[in-house]
Amino acid sequence: MEQLIQVLISGLLSGGIYALASVGLTLIFGIVGLVNFAHGDYLMLAMYIAYWFFSLLGLVPYESMLLNLVIMAVLGYLTYKLLMERVLESSHSIQMLLTLGLSMVLQNLALMLWRADYRNIRVEVTNSTIDIGFLHLGTAKVIGFAVAIVASIILYYFLQKTYTGASMRAVAQNGKAAQLMGINLSRTYCMAFVIGTVLVGLAGLLLSPIYPAYPTIGNSFCTLCFIVVVIGGLSSVPGAIFGGLLIGVVESLAGYYIGSAFQQAAYFLLFILVLVFKPTGLFGHKG
Amino acid sequence: MLKNLLKKENSVLWIIAFASLILPFAIDNRYYQDIIILTFLWAGLSSSWNLYSGYCGRLSIGHAAFMGMGAYSASLLSINFGITPWVGMVVGCIISGTAALIIGGTTLRLKGTFFVLSTIAFAEIMKTVAITAKNVTNGSLGVQVPYDPGFANLVFAGKIPYALIIWGYMILVIFICTRLEKSKLGYGLIAVGENQQAAENLGVNSTKTMLIAYVLSAMLTSIGGALFVQYVRFIEPSTIMSLAYSVNFILYAIAGGMGTAFGPMLGAFILVPATNLLRGAITGVSGLHQMILGLILIGILLYRPDGILLSIRGAMNKRRARAMKKEEEGGGDDAADGR
Repeated sequence: MEQLIQVLISGLLSGGIYALASVGLTLIFGIVGLVNFAHGDYLMLAMYIAYWFFSLLGLVPYESMLLNLVIMAVLGYLTYKLLMERVLESSHSIQMLLTLGLSMVLQNLALMLWRADYRNIRVEVTNSTIDIGFLHLGTAKVIGFAVAIVASIILYYFLQKTYTGASMRAVAQNGKAAQLMGINLSRTYCMAFVIGTVLVGLAGLLLSPIYPAYPTIGNSFCTLCFIVVVIGGLSSVPGAIFGGLLIGVVESLAGYYIGSAFQQAAYFLLFILVLVFKPTGLFGHKG
Repeated sequence: MLKNLLKKENSVLWIIAFASLILPFAIDNRYYQDIIILTFLWAGLSSSWNLYSGYCGRLSIGHAAFMGMGAYSASLLSINFGITPWVGMVVGCIISGTAALIIGGTTLRLKGTFFVLSTIAFAEIMKTVAITAKNVTNGSLGVQVPYDPGFANLVFAGKIPYALIIWGYMILVIFICTRLEKSKLGYGLIAVGENQQAAENLGVNSTKTMLIAYVLSAMLTSIGGALFVQYVRFIEPSTIMSLAYSVNFILYAIAGGMGTAFGPMLGAFILVPATNLLRGAITGVSGLHQMILGLILIGILLYRPDGILLSIRGAMNKRRARAMKKEEEGGGDDAADGR
C-alpha cells in the first residue's frame, strides 16, 4: 500500500510537468489550429539553454529561469513569424509536415552543435529527496510540480481576466466571429504560439535537473504531449492538465508494476483506447 | 516528336523508370551502386505509402512500422527456422496486412488529425514491442543477417542482383499505382480524399475503399522492408521503426508529387542520391544531412507544396494554353487574310 501511494504521488508530480508542456500544445492547437510536431523540440532547446547557463555561468536552472523563458519567447516569436504564419491557410497535412520538417531541423541542428552526448545538470536538487512520513519524493520533482501549479494559476488568470486572454478564448471558439468583433487575429495567434512555446520551455527547464538533455529527447515528450492533449479533448486547458496528471500516474504505475520498457507502451495503448472509444477526449465537446 | 511524347506524360515517366535500370550496370562503382539501389528501394517504399496517403490525402506517419514488420519477418524466419526470405517476405506481407486491417479498421474512421496521431502511436507501440520482445527480435541489439550468398537466401555477393530485384519491386509498386489510378478503387479513394461526405452520397463505400488501399499499401511497404533487411543485412528497431524513417516515406512523395503514380519515384530519384552524396561528402558532421533534408522539406512545403511533377505539369499546361491561344489568334488572322 505504501508502495502504491509512493508510486501514485511520484506519478502525479511528473504529471504536473507533463501537464504544463501539454497546456502549451493545447493553446497552439486550440487557438492557432496548428498540430505542432516540433513542440517537444522546444522543450529540448530549453533544456540545453538551462544546461549552458549551468555549465558556463554556474547558474542553477531555477536561477536562469527568466532569461531562459525570454529566449524561448523570442524563439517562439521567430518560429511563428518565419514559418507558421505562412501556412495558416494551407491544409492540415501541409501544416503537420512543416512542423515535422522543423522538428528534423531543430534536432539535427542540436546534434551538429552539441553532439549526441547526454548533458546532465548535477545540482543539489538532482539527487536529494523530500521525506514526508513514508514518502520519499525527489526535490526537483516537487519544485517542478509547485512551479507548474503557480504557472497554471497565472495562466488561468491571464486567460480569464485580461483582454488578450479573453480574445484568445474567443478565437479558440470561433476565429471568424472573433475577427468580426474586432479582435486582431494575427496578433492573437502569435501570442498563443509564443505562450505555448514559453510553457513547454518552462517544462523543459523544470525537467532539466532530472533528465539529461540530448538532441532527440523532444520526441518522446512530443508524443506524450499529443496523447495528453487528445485525452484532454484537444482544446481544453483543464482537460490537458487532467490528461497530464493521468499520463504521469499511468506511466509511473506501468513503470513500477510492469517494467520501465512498457511505460511508453502503456500510455500509447491508453491513447488508442481513447481514440477508439471516445475520440473527442475525456473533456472534449462534441463535433 | 518530343512534344508529342511529352504530351503522353506517363510514357515519358515510364521511360525514365525503365531507363534507370541502366545505371547500376553503367556505373561500376560499389559506392554509387549502393546509392542507386537505395534510391530504387525508397522510390518503391515511398510509392507504397503514396498508394494510400497520397491518393487519399490522409497522412500515415507510421509506415516505418510496416517496413519493420516485413524486415523482421524475412530475417527472423530465415535465421531461426531456415525459411527462405522469399517466403518470409510473403509472411511479412500477411502479418502487416493483418495489422493494417486491424489498425485501419479502428482508426480509419477517425478525422484527419486523429488519424495521423494514431498512426504515430501505432508505429511507436510496434517499436516498443520490437525493443522489448528480446527473445524474438533480439531487442535493441538488432538483427544481423548472416553472409551466405545465394538466390534462396536473398543474399548476394555483388550489387547487381540486388539492383535488379529492388528495381523490380519499384516497378511493381508504380505499376500497381498506375493501374489503381484507372480503377474504381482509385477513383473512389481520390473522391474520398477530396470530400468524404460527397463521395459517400455518390455511393462510394468510403471505409471499405480506404481499408483496401491501406492494407495494400502496408503489404507493399513490408515487401520493401524485407528487401531492405536482406540488402543492408542489419536492422535495429530504433532505426527502422523510427519517426525519421516514417518521414522519409512522406518526404520523397511530397517532393515529387503526392497522389501521382510517378511523383514519389521522381522525388526519391532526386533526393536520395542528393542526400547520400552529401552525407558522403561531409563526413564528421553528424546530423547535417538530416538537417538539410528537413530544410528541403520545409522549402518544398512553403514554395512548391504540390511537388515537382504537378509543378511541371502546371507549367506545361500553361504553355500549352498559351500556344493554343496564339494558334487561335493566328487562325483568326488567316481567316481575315483569306477574306
